[in-house]
Amino acid sequence: MSSQPEMRLEVDARRCEGHGLCVATVPQMLHHDQHGTVVIDVEVLTGAALEQAQEAVRVCPVAALRLRPAGV
Amino acid sequence: MTKVSAVSNIDLFADDVLIDPYTTYKALRDQAAVVYLPTNDVYALTRYDTIRSALGDPAAFSSVMAIGFNPGVNEALQGTTLASDPPVHTRLRAALVANLTPIKLRSIEEQIGGRAEALVSKLASTGSFEAIDGLARAFPLEIVANLIGFTGEVRNNMVRWGQAAMEVLGPMNQRTAENFPIAGELYGWCSKVTANDLAPGSVGRGIFDAQERGEIPPDTAGHIIHQFLGAGIDTTMASIGNIIALFGRYPEQFERVRKDPSLVGSAFNEVLRYYAAVHAMGRRTTRAVEIDGATVPAGAQIAILFGAGNRDERHYKNPDEFDVARNPVDHLSFGYGPHSCAGQGLARMEGRAVVLAMAKHVRSFKLGDAVKKLSNTTQSLDKLVVRDVVAA
Repeated sequence: MSSQPEMRLEVDARRCEGHGLCVATVPQMLHHDQHGTVVIDVEVLTGAALEQAQEAVRVCPVAALRLRPAGV
Repeated sequence: MTKVSAVSNIDLFADDVLIDPYTTYKALRDQAAVVYLPTNDVYALTRYDTIRSALGDPAAFSSVMAIGFNPGVNEALQGTTLASDPPVHTRLRAALVANLTPIKLRSIEEQIGGRAEALVSKLASTGSFEAIDGLARAFPLEIVANLIGFTGEVRNNMVRWGQAAMEVLGPMNQRTAENFPIAGELYGWCSKVTANDLAPGSVGRGIFDAQERGEIPPDTAGHIIHQFLGAGIDTTMASIGNIIALFGRYPEQFERVRKDPSLVGSAFNEVLRYYAAVHAMGRRTTRAVEIDGATVPAGAQIAILFGAGNRDERHYKNPDEFDVARNPVDHLSFGYGPHSCAGQGLARMEGRAVVLAMAKHVRSFKLGDAVKKLSNTTQSLDKLVVRDVVAA
């Protein structure tokens, strides 16, 4: 790899049920709105932040989070 | 080129397998990620990554006519959230979870914690007690009865009904046959219950109100309540029994939680990982699927072995060790993806409440007799004696 990939964290609001495991994992990256649905607070991710975001994707029990290449 | 899958002659639902499934899980996992079991005519998924991928891919692994391991139960479950695929599933799921999301449950969280403390401190003060009827069944029953708003005779039947609803998911063996009429009693009650049968202000009553307002389709309120009760009682009871069993067997781990209550959430996740409440659930392949180099044909009945995935050494280090600080948030005991346990928010609240209540009100205890309940689906204890309790 010549350069680090840049990724964007996305939430599928139809799937999100507000279980909050992602918020507990990376509170600096996302929060619940008043209905409990997750809102993403970060832009393009790379390096250590990207690894943390991958952990948030991994703990979502309803597969509502995903990472997509930035700019796509 | 593809190859045929590994084969094992075990019966996934035989008594000796159900008594201690973890020996069988390991043998199957060592064999392959997917193993065909001719006795049950199922393809068992045995490893963490394979199970998680299948649960996340409803297009290839359908829930229609596939959740249970006999045609009768799959017929009966047709059209429910459990037994449907997206996009139909997406609408049903929304109606089911509307009252079960953590934000909706926040109003009863304190009450749940308070009831757990009251129950545990009372039991602890007696010096010895039977933990399954006395705690593991009593506590979730009280919470669910208040939530749905039922009392009296219905409440007295609910443990039996909840057990039967899970039991009938098995193959058509004697356990399944004996439990069909009992599961039918629960179904019968749910199809006749009306708003006036449920306590004002309860979530159960609220589901009928939503139906009245046209927010959910006509005649769905009873189905939603059926899913609450059918899926949410026996499994939660199993997991709460497992908290006591594991803390009793590993007193040094209980001591860690007692000394550091910030481990409560992690400890309950580890209880769920260590002992999955559900033995097996089904799916059906909609097309030929390649798993770890082997081909599973289209239309095959799949058996997902949650407990086998939870002990996969490819995913968890020292998986047979019970470690309250492990915090395996990604365990498979609630499933994963669109069908992951709809009541997991409530289950987490109840489980954490019991762990915290134990940590606060019990200094130490020993285990007496333990009896496993043989079931096609729910892995639980039927009896667990707790003795020499030193209250905190």
